[in-house]
Amino acid sequence: MIEIGLNAYILLSVVLFAIGFFGVLVRKNTLVIYICLELMLVAATLALVAFSRYNGTMDGNVFVFFILTVAAAEVAVGLAIIVALFRKRMTVQVDKLNALKN
Amino acid sequence: MTPVQQALLILLIPLASAAIIALFLRRKGGLATIVSVTAAAALAGLSLSLIASGEEINHSWEWMQIGGLTISLGIKFDDLAALMLFVVSFVGFFIHLFSTGYMLDDKARGRYFAGLSIFMFSMIGIVFADNLFMMFIFWELVGFSSYLLINHYHEKQTAADASNKAFIVNRVGDFGFLLGIILCYWTYGTVNLTELGLISDSGGLVHSKPIPLLLFCGAVGKSAQMPLQVWLPDAMEGPTPVSALIHAATMVAAGIFMLCRIEMLMVPEALNIIMWVGTITALYAALCAIVQSDIKKVLAYSTLSQLGYMVAAFGLGSLVFEQDGRDVLVFAGVGAAMFHLTTHAFFKALLFLGSGSVIHGCHHEQDIFQMGGLRKKMPITFLTFTIGVLAIIGMPGLAGFFSKDAILLLAMKNNTVVFGVLVFTAILTAFYMIRMWKLVFFGETRSDNAAKSHESGMSMTLPLLVLAGLAIIGGYAGIYGKLAGSVADLVPHAHGSEHTMIFVTSIVVLLIGSLGAWVYYKPGAKDTLEQNSNGLFNGLTTLKESFDALYGYYVAKVQQRFAMLLNFLEQIFLAGLIIRGFSGLVGLLGLGARALHVGSLHAYVHWFLLGIALLWVLTSGLF
Repeated sequence: MIEIGLNAYILLSVVLFAIGFFGVLVRKNTLVIYICLELMLVAATLALVAFSRYNGTMDGNVFVFFILTVAAAEVAVGLAIIVALFRKRMTVQVDKLNALKN
Repeated sequence: MTPVQQALLILLIPLASAAIIALFLRRKGGLATIVSVTAAAALAGLSLSLIASGEEINHSWEWMQIGGLTISLGIKFDDLAALMLFVVSFVGFFIHLFSTGYMLDDKARGRYFAGLSIFMFSMIGIVFADNLFMMFIFWELVGFSSYLLINHYHEKQTAADASNKAFIVNRVGDFGFLLGIILCYWTYGTVNLTELGLISDSGGLVHSKPIPLLLFCGAVGKSAQMPLQVWLPDAMEGPTPVSALIHAATMVAAGIFMLCRIEMLMVPEALNIIMWVGTITALYAALCAIVQSDIKKVLAYSTLSQLGYMVAAFGLGSLVFEQDGRDVLVFAGVGAAMFHLTTHAFFKALLFLGSGSVIHGCHHEQDIFQMGGLRKKMPITFLTFTIGVLAIIGMPGLAGFFSKDAILLLAMKNNTVVFGVLVFTAILTAFYMIRMWKLVFFGETRSDNAAKSHESGMSMTLPLLVLAGLAIIGGYAGIYGKLAGSVADLVPHAHGSEHTMIFVTSIVVLLIGSLGAWVYYKPGAKDTLEQNSNGLFNGLTTLKESFDALYGYYVAKVQQRFAMLLNFLEQIFLAGLIIRGFSGLVGLLGLGARALHVGSLHAYVHWFLLGIALLWVLTSGLF
């Protein structure tokens, strides 16, 4: 079995984070932006697990459990907001959502 | 009731009356009249009983303390205050009574009587004040009530202007007064009159010319002395009883009263200046009075002239003589000035009320050339007015004779030039008073208004009769009894050859002035002086108007331009650079900050990224 080092996990985590971040930067749809945000969160979680494994402690894993729980709740709230937003405005494109500007 | 409580009651009754009228009775003229006149009557009664009790009050309450400065309110009631209180409350009551008849048809009676009451409150405050700060407060209050009452017919532009003028001119004098008070406090650490008196008795006063002269500025404004005399003739725009009360008998005399209050601060140099100011005012005003055609203006200039007499009397009072190798000052001037103030209050209030009766009877005609022949139509007014005229020109036996003689005696002893000027002024006084008297009451009636004139009612003739009585007996010291006390002792009396000299001078002056006017003036629609010697008439008119013209020029050409320059600088530097500059800077920052908020989520994410990068750069120590 090939031993996969910490660097590979961190690299994957960074790549995931970068994908997520660029998604947030360039996509216009709120839902997609939201997915990208989740991707960034997951990238951070992955890094935590990798560090935990590398250190041989369980701290990181415990953290991840909490993060997943909070993220689930957060997703429920976030999706609800997006649905409510769509009902109200009939769009979830961020460039249309600029009511505060004027 | 203790004397202090009684004095407080006297002070607060008119205030209560004014408050009641101002709050509840503004549109109820009849009730307001009753409240105000009742208050004045109660005030007069209480005052007389307080004076009769012969108590002296010296009571002070601490009012406020600012650092080391303690300002107190207090009552100082001595012989001087008693005499002044008698004049204010007694004459004041009869003028209230006269007003009930004179103002009967006025729409704004409530306002008028509230004004009279607030004036009585302020004036009594001056009389009772035991320190200069308190006096200053009430000093301003009388100015305010004078403003209100001059402005009674406020729909008339001239009345509105006159009230502004009176107020502003008084401010000029009051500024000096305030500086004097501050300097007095700075020098002696107290402005309490009793304490100043104690310091003076123990010889602790420094020889200071600025203090008395600055305080005198207040008197110059209030008593309308040169060069601030311009407001008093204009103040005649107010109702005639107001002219009688404020601008003849009491408020304008407050300046003299104040001088007598601060006599311990006087030094010979200051008294010399005060003497000359009074003398010149007396002469100037008498000259102006000769060419007036408005009955009230003649009386106004006559008031100015008589106030000049009082101020001169005060200034003349410094009889300096050597005793034990050092100069001793004797303030005989206080006696003569207060004596003349009292008799003047009687006969001038009488004359003004008489003129009010004439004006009322003639349907608000004030031009003496439009009157004539009122002798038969208004017998009581004629009789009482005649007594007033005789009193002011110094007919022997009447009030004015004694007080004027006291002043002339002082002048003769101290300063021959002043004596000459005052004697000449006395001739002029007799001249212009007889001129007015003849034009108003003798000859043919010269206008419809005068032809339809009638005698005034009881409420107006009764005060005339009482004041006429006082104008007759007011010169005999005996009637004052306890009232004047130590003040009466200060009145100078002539003896032997001096007595003969003064008496002869008075008689000669009286005869020259009155016979001259009686023979010279022919009752007619035109001024005889104007017809016969136009140059002299115009000269006197120009003299009268010169001060107004000068001040008008100063305000329009000098002060206005200076104000415009200041405004220009203010617009550039203060408003322009500092205020607009700062506001512009903040606005610019706001503009920049607003540009960041484009309303696009992506822009914010970019800013966020930039912020993170910046934070990273800073924390990593790259810079």
